[in-house]
Amino acid sequence: MKAKFSTYLNDIAPGLKDLIAELEKSYDYVSVLSTDSVGFNVRVSQRVKSVSGSTLTTERGNVIRVYKDGLYSEFSFNRFDPERAKDMVAEVRGVLDAQLSVLKATQSKIYNTPKLDDEKQELFVEMETGSLPEETDLSALVDKLQKFSDEGVALSDEVIDCNCVAQSTHICKMFLTANKDLRQSYVYSEGAVFMIGARDGKSDQSFSGISDRLGPEIFDGMGEVVKESFRGLNDTLGADHVIPGEYEIITTPEISGLIAHEAFGHGVEMDMFVKKRALGAEYLGKRVGSDIVTMHEGAKCVRDVTSYAFDDEGTPAGDVVEIDKGILKTGVCDALAALRLGTKPTGNGKRENFEHKVYTRMTNTMFDPGTSTKEEMIKSVKKGYLLDGMDSGMEDPKHWGIQCIVARGYEIIDGKLTGKVVSPVIMTGYVPDLLGSISMASTDYESHGNGACGKGHKEWVKTVDGGPYLKAVAKLG
Amino acid sequence: MTDRIIELLKAQGVDAFEVTDKCTSAWEFYFIKHELDQNRVRDVEHINVTVYRKLEDGKFLGSATQEISPTASEEEAKKIIADLYERAQYVKNPYYELNKKKVEGGGEKFDPAQMARDFIEAMQQIPETSGEDINSYEIFAESNTRRYVNSEGIDVTVSYPSSTVEVVVNARNDKHEIELYRMYTSGTCDKDNLVKEISKTLSFGKDRLITVPTPALDKATVLFTTADAVEIFKWFAMKMHAAFKYRGYSDWEKGKAICENVEGDTFTIKAVKELPNSSYNAPVDSQGAEIRDMYILKENVPENFWGDAQFRYYLGVPDSFIASNFAAEGGSLSESELRSGNYLEPVEFSDFSVDPITGDIAGEIRLAYWHEGDKVTPVSGGSVSGTLTDLIRNVRLSKELKQYDTTLIPSAVKIEGVTVTGA
Repeated sequence: MKAKFSTYLNDIAPGLKDLIAELEKSYDYVSVLSTDSVGFNVRVSQRVKSVSGSTLTTERGNVIRVYKDGLYSEFSFNRFDPERAKDMVAEVRGVLDAQLSVLKATQSKIYNTPKLDDEKQELFVEMETGSLPEETDLSALVDKLQKFSDEGVALSDEVIDCNCVAQSTHICKMFLTANKDLRQSYVYSEGAVFMIGARDGKSDQSFSGISDRLGPEIFDGMGEVVKESFRGLNDTLGADHVIPGEYEIITTPEISGLIAHEAFGHGVEMDMFVKKRALGAEYLGKRVGSDIVTMHEGAKCVRDVTSYAFDDEGTPAGDVVEIDKGILKTGVCDALAALRLGTKPTGNGKRENFEHKVYTRMTNTMFDPGTSTKEEMIKSVKKGYLLDGMDSGMEDPKHWGIQCIVARGYEIIDGKLTGKVVSPVIMTGYVPDLLGSISMASTDYESHGNGACGKGHKEWVKTVDGGPYLKAVAKLG
Repeated sequence: MTDRIIELLKAQGVDAFEVTDKCTSAWEFYFIKHELDQNRVRDVEHINVTVYRKLEDGKFLGSATQEISPTASEEEAKKIIADLYERAQYVKNPYYELNKKKVEGGGEKFDPAQMARDFIEAMQQIPETSGEDINSYEIFAESNTRRYVNSEGIDVTVSYPSSTVEVVVNARNDKHEIELYRMYTSGTCDKDNLVKEISKTLSFGKDRLITVPTPALDKATVLFTTADAVEIFKWFAMKMHAAFKYRGYSDWEKGKAICENVEGDTFTIKAVKELPNSSYNAPVDSQGAEIRDMYILKENVPENFWGDAQFRYYLGVPDSFIASNFAAEGGSLSESELRSGNYLEPVEFSDFSVDPITGDIAGEIRLAYWHEGDKVTPVSGGSVSGTLTDLIRNVRLSKELKQYDTTLIPSAVKIEGVTVTGA
């Protein structure tokens, strides 16, 4: 079925077009992004349940972007009466002028930026989904999650609780200018199992998930996620600490994705080039990884939770080859950064929601698969670890440092898994060294979309990353 | 709109309800160097509604929550409320009670224009040089008003300011350039403190240019003297969160010491009603409970759990609240007395994290000072790690205290036996 576009947005579109026409009398460029995204978040554990209509991306609101004298200004609001659109013009102009007065009083200069093009474009996309969150039988879903949670705690007396989370969001966004009218509607869903357990007085946890740009039908597959989460918990509970040092590593597709995201994804967000905050700007055309490393980024790369039709500035979705056989080719770019750098936007201008500014952000960041099997890769390791289970990561585009906290490392000695597990594992290093050390990639190709990504320590958006199993060398602690 | 929603809730005949209506007026400025990249205004209202339904003769209480847009039509609002009442019956939680005690609101409205202007002027006062300067900064100045209404008779409004400044600084020499990242949150703009903090960060930047690789110290004494130490105290606070306790994520018990064989200082932490210029100084929490000063941990012994009404009810702790400000007590030694022997003082991590369940700490070192007697060497690379449940047996806290927005903690926290991986 098609994910039907918002009736509310269709209803307010004429009023917003009136608003744009009025504002164009005062400004050289005007756009409006309007959103009406609904969804649910259902959580079931042994001790407590909850049902909420909010997810990270549910929202209803609007943001106006205007341009004059080299400056872009924005006004975010969620009380809009389409019948009184023209009355709003004075309010918008008044408050933005008041801001300019403060800038003048503080003698602040403007970072001069060219005007965005506004070529005629129309797009109406209703993507395919199996079902809609707003039509889901939540009673049946709660029962389903309860069954999964019960199965989880039944796996061992050591399991304290098994939290099952199902969330699904129907995104509707409309981007309007004098010449553009873009409307998109799609559904994405995420299921997650968070298990907590204790052994010998020590507690630990594990997390596993599924995601797709599909409807709540994906939750039928959460039984496997429960088993996967338990495997992780059971292995973590008996784990030792790793002896710090440099090791051969094999990363699962989830950890490969974490490396893609933290090591290079943030480093080629080109709004960071504008601020001279990314070392990547100096390495375009140069080697940053081994021949095995090819990395794609874009909403069109794979189908997962961030596979939209256009970004929050009305730029169509893209698929950019950032690294080709180890050579850094290009980065990704929002529309304003593109104007400042004299390049083209890539469809990566994203907002946390209508209240937030656009930044260059990742969508799907994926390593290309290789030709090896996972078994061949393990067999090739003299002493090292198979790393699995993502905890967190942190970018460092200016210096290309990398920090990834991985849930578990499975020891490999002389080509065989020994059964010994270490946890948690802090993987650190210098990005070109890490990517340069990649010597094997498997034929697998998985995306993971359960996480959210911040820029610095804020601006949370959905992102996806993944790829194959990779073999490399890294410092573990 | 809120009053209309309350009428609709009553007309629907729901068993209980909560409505929170938060209005935010915000000014934002984004600078590259000191040139304005973009200016923004936010003028928004968010109305969140929770509907409760008694199940099985009141043995259980179901609930469901959703935001109702201020632009929602009456029909739309009615449908959402009806859906919430329907959904609430699927959420079979043990019975609990909402807050009932009458409370007074308060606070004053602040002008985000003046707050934002103060931040711009503060940033213009940073003493930059050709070697250390500001790369970029973002200013967020908010004035918030929040009304909370529930079916038990509470109808209270609080107002408070909230601000954030994100700053990136650079330092450079002939060979290379580095950056440091900071994010400061507060109520309004404290110009003097902001200038002082960012100036200190600039000096860290200068030192980062001359670092050598962090030595592999194996187990070392680590002195935390920056905002990263807040994460350690947050771990204590979360272990005393009612939801954490009820869900089995915390095994701490009221009246029972959290560890034995303590060789260093013990921890005493209070939830407090106010801290100077905190970004959440309000007399009432988000569920209408009165906020007051209350020990949560006294000399390593849990005193009071805090958190949501639901989980407090389950734990039998009705007289508590959702704490926002925390104040820890200092130890017996001064910071200068703690600065003795060999120790590593990390002042910049990629990200310093404390796992709230396991207490595992981890952080990649971007800048630390390795103190060997009088010799101090700036180092970078490698990481610190360990588990707080073990480490807290041997911790020394400085007498002096320092506030980081909503948290007041000892200015120096000295921990023995932390694993330090070399670069």
